[in-house]
Amino acid sequence: MSEQMTLGSMTELLKPWTVASRPVSDTRLEVETTAANIVPAVGALKTAQWGFLSAITGLDNSAAVKADSGTAAASGAAPAHNGGGFEVLYHFCRGPSVLTFRVKLPREAPTVPTLSAVVPSALIYEKELAETFGVTIEGIPDRRRQFLSDDWPTNLYPMRKDFSPGSAEGLAQAAPVAVAEERRGTLGTFIVPIGPQHPALKEPGHFELTVDGETVTHAAIRLGYVHRGIEKGAEDRSWIHNIYLMERICGICSHIHSTAYVLGVEKLAGTAVPPRAQAIRTIFAEMERVHSHLLWLGVAAHEAGFDTLFMYSWRDRETIMDLLEEISGNRVNYSVNLLGGVKYDIDAKGTDSLRRGMDFLEKRTRHYLKIVTNDESFLRRTRGVGNITFEQANLLGTVGPTARASGVSRDLRVEAPYLAYADFPVKTVLDTRCDLEARFIVRINELFESYRLIRAILEKLPPGDLAVASPRRVPAGEVISRVEAPRGELFYFIRSGGGVKPDRVKVRTPSLCNWAAVLSVAVGHKLADIPMIMVGIDPCFSCNDRSITVRRRGSDERWTWEELRRYGISYYGGDA
Amino acid sequence: MGKQKVPGVFRSALDKAALWSRINSPWLVHFNSGSCNGCDIEILATLAPRYDLERFGVKLQGSPRHADVLICTGPVTRQARDRLLRTYEQMPVPKFVIAVGSCSISGGAFHGCYNIVGDVGDVIPVDVYIPGCPPRPEAIIDGVVQLLQKLKPPRVARVVARVSGGAP
Repeated sequence: MSEQMTLGSMTELLKPWTVASRPVSDTRLEVETTAANIVPAVGALKTAQWGFLSAITGLDNSAAVKADSGTAAASGAAPAHNGGGFEVLYHFCRGPSVLTFRVKLPREAPTVPTLSAVVPSALIYEKELAETFGVTIEGIPDRRRQFLSDDWPTNLYPMRKDFSPGSAEGLAQAAPVAVAEERRGTLGTFIVPIGPQHPALKEPGHFELTVDGETVTHAAIRLGYVHRGIEKGAEDRSWIHNIYLMERICGICSHIHSTAYVLGVEKLAGTAVPPRAQAIRTIFAEMERVHSHLLWLGVAAHEAGFDTLFMYSWRDRETIMDLLEEISGNRVNYSVNLLGGVKYDIDAKGTDSLRRGMDFLEKRTRHYLKIVTNDESFLRRTRGVGNITFEQANLLGTVGPTARASGVSRDLRVEAPYLAYADFPVKTVLDTRCDLEARFIVRINELFESYRLIRAILEKLPPGDLAVASPRRVPAGEVISRVEAPRGELFYFIRSGGGVKPDRVKVRTPSLCNWAAVLSVAVGHKLADIPMIMVGIDPCFSCNDRSITVRRRGSDERWTWEELRRYGISYYGGDA
Repeated sequence: MGKQKVPGVFRSALDKAALWSRINSPWLVHFNSGSCNGCDIEILATLAPRYDLERFGVKLQGSPRHADVLICTGPVTRQARDRLLRTYEQMPVPKFVIAVGSCSISGGAFHGCYNIVGDVGDVIPVDVYIPGCPPRPEAIIDGVVQLLQKLKPPRVARVVARVSGGAP
């Protein structure tokens, strides 16, 4: 990969498939192409080994067109809206650069071909596009639902502008719906269902692992148990309300979500945020990384059956929780960000506690590093398990510590410094061993880097204001905001129509990028290793679901879910 | 299979023993029906050494079949509603429900989003609500202790109230 592969040279490379090409900034290029040309264009990008597919954004222009005709003189900033049709944006990222393919589609029967043959990780984004926008994906290998619920009406697409949560027919009924017949394995295979309720205590997800004896032969995932419809909700809330909503996308990385959002909005509005505010945001982002990595260390140790480490790391995590609380008043959703600055200052007392906290944690973290690299029984669960090779990690678009543990140097704090990272540089923590142990080591070493960074910023905390005023209406335009969350690259696409509410907020969280890699890596492992592999990317799993078929010797007695349910309730003493 | 028959004489003694052990060691099962994780990690933090909910004999259990108390977080999404109901149904009676966090009480920040069918109370009966976004670990401890008080037979509860100086 040469450094000449800049965005400029990409314009040349993609010329055969380009309708129009427009450099948005030094680091952003937009290439308009057609549905027929998207596959060869992406193929050329892949042959040139340029970047990875970061997100696919759908846009519904019907409201934007109305806004255009209302305020006809909306300058020429926003691109023309193709008569109220749809647009599909494919974002490819490489270091600080983002290349966006824009495909315009008609309102009637919007169709794009699938990219999954060229880019396997596209599948999950394409499913989202198909489910929420009703864009037909031609040739998609798997049409099962991924995000919306099984009982969601077909032909109702929530992200379209003509859908509003309150009005849709048939949605308000709260009657319990019979669960669709679960998928069964074909003869000779056995599927172990995992989740959505499982003892590992984080997001519910549903996995189906096909096993042959103890060995996993196929892995599939069903998401959507916590799909709340936030992207649509954001369109109904003002720019300021949305800070609070974005903060609650994830309770673990709450600050980084609101940071990505405010950075995007500030870029659109042209707000110059005071350096002190940016430095304080950075401190909070790093504190969040510390609490998140310690949390993960505990949960991962728990999956390995090493509960002592779990309890110790969670005990020490309370140190950082106390510090977060001391400065912001909250343990979890700290609400630090405002549009235009921050709410809380770090005074001399806060600085002092932070320094003492970092000293204590550094000592403890050294101890943990020693444990995960020396404890024999623990190493047997991690060393050589769940290998994601450099090529796989690169191709499947993994991000964050998962990618860095496979030697893929992806860290936006280094590649495209935002907040105060330009003034306080971070060192990328890399490991080339590619296994679970590497993922432990990378995360723990990142902790040291965070401690160092927090101390460095405290040393030279810039003086000045905490916040500046930000306009209530944000000028029309589109912006991409990328930040490095504890789990990897977090991608926001924000479009404003010039009003008090956003026109579209697209959020692509880091875990989504890592699923493709994990599912392909799971195959061939023993079932017992699966929780560790899953937890390696930082969600976590164990199991709990039940069988549908009751077999007694010599008979094949099948029960329906409903019969089994009633039997279960009455057996345990309830009224079925 | 089927329920074991217990002779009537032992029945009440067994019930008393079961109640005694339930109050002193309630087992929890956790279900996230659409939460942002904030409450979930606070529940876990409550069980960790600093707050140590386990000193009340509380144990977090993987299977609803072994649990006395269902601890719920988050608003209820369309896809999770049926699973929440099923998890609840799988628990043996008597069973109790604690709803943690603002979302599980009213939908919270996600009120009005299209994939939310309501709060936990809309789907299953709730015994204790713990407000907060997310609630502090102390609040969660208080909620669990309140539930345990509720389980106690009236005579025990009166004695506890007298000793602690509160109203019964």
